[in-house]
Amino acid sequence: MKPGEKWIGRCSRAVRSISTNLVFIQEPLFRLILVFSTNSLGMRMRIWKIPDQVIRLAILIVIALAVLIVVRLQFIPASFGEIGHYRADALKEEAALTLHYAGMQACVMCHDDIGMIKAASYHRNLACESCHGPSLEHVDDPGEFSPVVVTGRTLCVRCHGYLASRPTGFPQIIEAIHNPMAPCTECHDPHDPTPPEVPEDCSACHAEIARTKAVSHHWSLSCETCHEAAPEHRQSPRAFLPKKPTEREFCGQCHGQGSQRSASAPRVDLSEHGGRYLCWQCHYPHHPEGR
Amino acid sequence: MSELLEHLEANLQQVTGYIYPNEIELHWSLLVVIYPYVTGLVAGAFILASLVEVFKVKEVASTYRLALLTALAFLIAAPLPLLAHLGHPERSFQIFLTPHLRSAMAMFGFVYIWYLMLVLLLEIWFEYRADMVRWSSERRGVMKLLYWVLSLGSRDLSEKAVRFDRKAVYAITLVGIPSAFLLHGYVGFIFGSIKANPWWSSVLMPIVFLFSAIVSGIALVLLLHYVTTMFRRVKPDMACFNKLASFLMYALIIDLSLETLDFIHRMYESEESIEILAELVITKLFISLTIVQLLLGTIVPIVLLAIGRFSRIPDEFKRVVFFIAALLVQVGIFSTRWNVVIGGQLFSKSLRGLTVFKMQLGGIEGLFMGIALLILPFVLLWILVKLLPPWDKQEAN
Repeated sequence: MKPGEKWIGRCSRAVRSISTNLVFIQEPLFRLILVFSTNSLGMRMRIWKIPDQVIRLAILIVIALAVLIVVRLQFIPASFGEIGHYRADALKEEAALTLHYAGMQACVMCHDDIGMIKAASYHRNLACESCHGPSLEHVDDPGEFSPVVVTGRTLCVRCHGYLASRPTGFPQIIEAIHNPMAPCTECHDPHDPTPPEVPEDCSACHAEIARTKAVSHHWSLSCETCHEAAPEHRQSPRAFLPKKPTEREFCGQCHGQGSQRSASAPRVDLSEHGGRYLCWQCHYPHHPEGR
Repeated sequence: MSELLEHLEANLQQVTGYIYPNEIELHWSLLVVIYPYVTGLVAGAFILASLVEVFKVKEVASTYRLALLTALAFLIAAPLPLLAHLGHPERSFQIFLTPHLRSAMAMFGFVYIWYLMLVLLLEIWFEYRADMVRWSSERRGVMKLLYWVLSLGSRDLSEKAVRFDRKAVYAITLVGIPSAFLLHGYVGFIFGSIKANPWWSSVLMPIVFLFSAIVSGIALVLLLHYVTTMFRRVKPDMACFNKLASFLMYALIIDLSLETLDFIHRMYESEESIEILAELVITKLFISLTIVQLLLGTIVPIVLLAIGRFSRIPDEFKRVVFFIAALLVQVGIFSTRWNVVIGGQLFSKSLRGLTVFKMQLGGIEGLFMGIALLILPFVLLWILVKLLPPWDKQEAN
């Protein structure tokens, strides 16, 4: 016998064995439907002996599946899945919504003088309508509608109020301390918000670092002890970056074993401690006791 | 802004170290704690039931039907905390209409529906079919109609048909064991796969969830068996109590070993998060983790169960000891879920600060809602027990 014939023989024996071991359908109705359907298809199919309870469950499952199909047809929006796992028509509906914002380009078409100043300032990436509110109506009819003019202190502190999670170097104020009661625009031109006076202290911009350092063992050290900053850094902070210590011996002035400075500063043997790393690569100098 | 600060004032006073603004308030609260707790009870109760059907543990046979109904009652209630937490429950069916194969949470809907419809309901139907046919012919009025509908109009009480029911129950239980593992393993997977959170992100999480589920399920069935035996005023089946207590003790020991393994693994790895996690464990979670979960919820029950099993104390006293141990296990497992869900949100992603969880009393996420959602499965179980008495067959025997 060829291997193919051997497998066909095994399969047919298995099918015969399964079909003879199952119980015949009890209900004449189901039997009739099954016989009718197989005969009408011209099939000489042997009726399987399916238990009564399985047929009842099968009918229930078929009904449930039919309900699911109907519900799917009824409730899934026609455009679902056209682009992604969402309703594609939602994009058209969003696009059809009434516009309120004109966009910065529309503003600078008329206010080109202000646009030029703002484009060279720290607020160059800030849209005009972020402060002046939605102004499409003003673009359409400048005489009838005027944009909002900011006068108080609430809007500016949304970005410039002190918050620990804001990046260091970003100007932040404590509203209650910083010229209380005075509107921001009295001193700052929002279109060119360069500080009118050079900040006196590093904490004006590096508030988070200053607050962290204030409660650390390094509280008494001034920023200039470790950072050599050119005077121009105060006017153009990014063009004139301050320097950081580049040698281990710098920290060793206080923390080296032979140091004569502060007796309370922890001492380490610089030749053994930390390998080739600079001190601040492992120890955060603004909060050195933090791990 | 002032309203927001006023709202956050209580939290802000207890925030320590550095924390991002969006971490001050927790996003997943009590309801998300209840959800894995209830799901765990389902999986655990089913696995106990499978001991009877597949592993032929005759001693706990009297709890088989009760365990199945318990699993069903708790499974019906399981998604409700999530629906209440998410809001818009009317939209929930959409995950079934438009399946999103790459969303772990969306696919969980299918795991749930598979377990409910094709495992639990099917097994209970085959288990009770012959009884429902009998009850349908014995009862009158609405109950007759109800049992007729529940039995799907089945009338066949022949020996062959009943034998087929038994085979079907066995086959479904075989499929049901991996399904129960999948159900609660999946809950653990949802937490364990969040790689941004070092408290959750662990491959051991699904396994730890699974074994804690088995522990809680066995303990719940033990509690229910104790209470129902007492109210039905029947002679307590001490062999059953002893076997349940043994399984509970072994499952607790495995659970404790896995938790310890996870702990040692984290300590040995000592990733950058270990400092903040250590601070979390010894400050914010000290009561709920060390005292409630570890001491009261694990070590004390193991000791109590060992005393009950291996000492010669009177049966009445032994049952009370088992009852107290099972009750403590429930408190401990709830605490486990609390420590996972709430603990994972108490530390900052900056790994430099901790926040605090302030639970509301009222409202949709509040304590009262949580208590109601924990009582609901017992009400459902009471209805199911009335409808499908789990003791008839046993008492008839």
